[in-house]
Amino acid sequence: MTEIACEIFIHIQGRAPKVVAAKGDQVLRDVLLGAELAAEEMAEMAVFIGECQDALAEPEDHEDGADVHAEIDINLTVEALELHHRKHVHCHKCRLIAIEVNFGGKTKGRKFSPAATIETVTVWARKKFRLDPASSAEYVLQICGTTDRPRPNQHLGEVASPETCAVCFDLVKEETPQG
Amino acid sequence: MEKPDQRLFEADLQSAEFRIGVANGQWGLAEQDKIPPDAAWPNVYIWIAAASRPNAPDRFYIRLNAAGYRSVPPTSSFWDPEKKAPVELARWPKGKPDSRFAKVFRTDTWQNGKGDGAFYHPYDRVPVADHPGWTSAVPKWTDKTTIVNYLEEFHALFRSGDYVGV
Repeated sequence: MTEIACEIFIHIQGRAPKVVAAKGDQVLRDVLLGAELAAEEMAEMAVFIGECQDALAEPEDHEDGADVHAEIDINLTVEALELHHRKHVHCHKCRLIAIEVNFGGKTKGRKFSPAATIETVTVWARKKFRLDPASSAEYVLQICGTTDRPRPNQHLGEVASPETCAVCFDLVKEETPQG
Repeated sequence: MEKPDQRLFEADLQSAEFRIGVANGQWGLAEQDKIPPDAAWPNVYIWIAAASRPNAPDRFYIRLNAAGYRSVPPTSSFWDPEKKAPVELARWPKGKPDSRFAKVFRTDTWQNGKGDGAFYHPYDRVPVADHPGWTSAVPKWTDKTTIVNYLEEFHALFRSGDYVGV
């Protein structure tokens, strides 16, 4: 493991994600410095690894839930953090991001890790609004007041501003090509 | 020497966003033995993973013509990796009747036959050329749209409940 480089994805707030090759015996702090995250910036950010899917296991009637995603120690090695398997490293000033989703005149809210994907938030929202799973795939998240629809693979940390640590979405139906 | 559209496309293939989809098993470049030996730009061969359905493959190959990338959308057709030829319309993946899936991957004759074999979607330049109203559609292709947006859009269709198999 220590000899073979693995591909990991670095998500730093406000920047496009980066793919880097890292060896198992490398310390994550050094990997992040190599990804051009300055030590001073690092000190202000929480660092998470993997993707957080707590919301998918939440009971439907649970209100105002929150992810429990532990920050990690950047002085550990890539191997110790199992990054060959967990793949993603997220660096963000927000420990949690407050999400509101509007649909049918109602609003549902929850706090998500910056490491949750748009796909996870979308599946959670469809479940919260009790949309039929067989036909709900046409409903996607659109940032309130815009026509921006983040990609399913995007992480919330890429979408949320570090100033507000919050994002408002409308759950909208995809248009079917006509004409 | 590579053309600007090819350089831009290949740079996007190296992006973290594209590599994340590969790592997730959502899509990938077709293996060398699945494409014609003389395959060349602007044709690119890519597979997209699909939800499990009886008697259906777990991935679909497409031949994507990316000429003019990103200024104009690509145009694509399903690709048979064994015959190394386009898939006949009768063997295209199918969706529930009147579903978005069925409309995007329509197999009837449209645009007087010009559309046959293309995807009926704002991310395909063949139907876009005859649908000026689609320029205000969401999603729509802009010069910021990349192959990753394209693949996520179609991958989502192949994971939807509207996809029924082949």
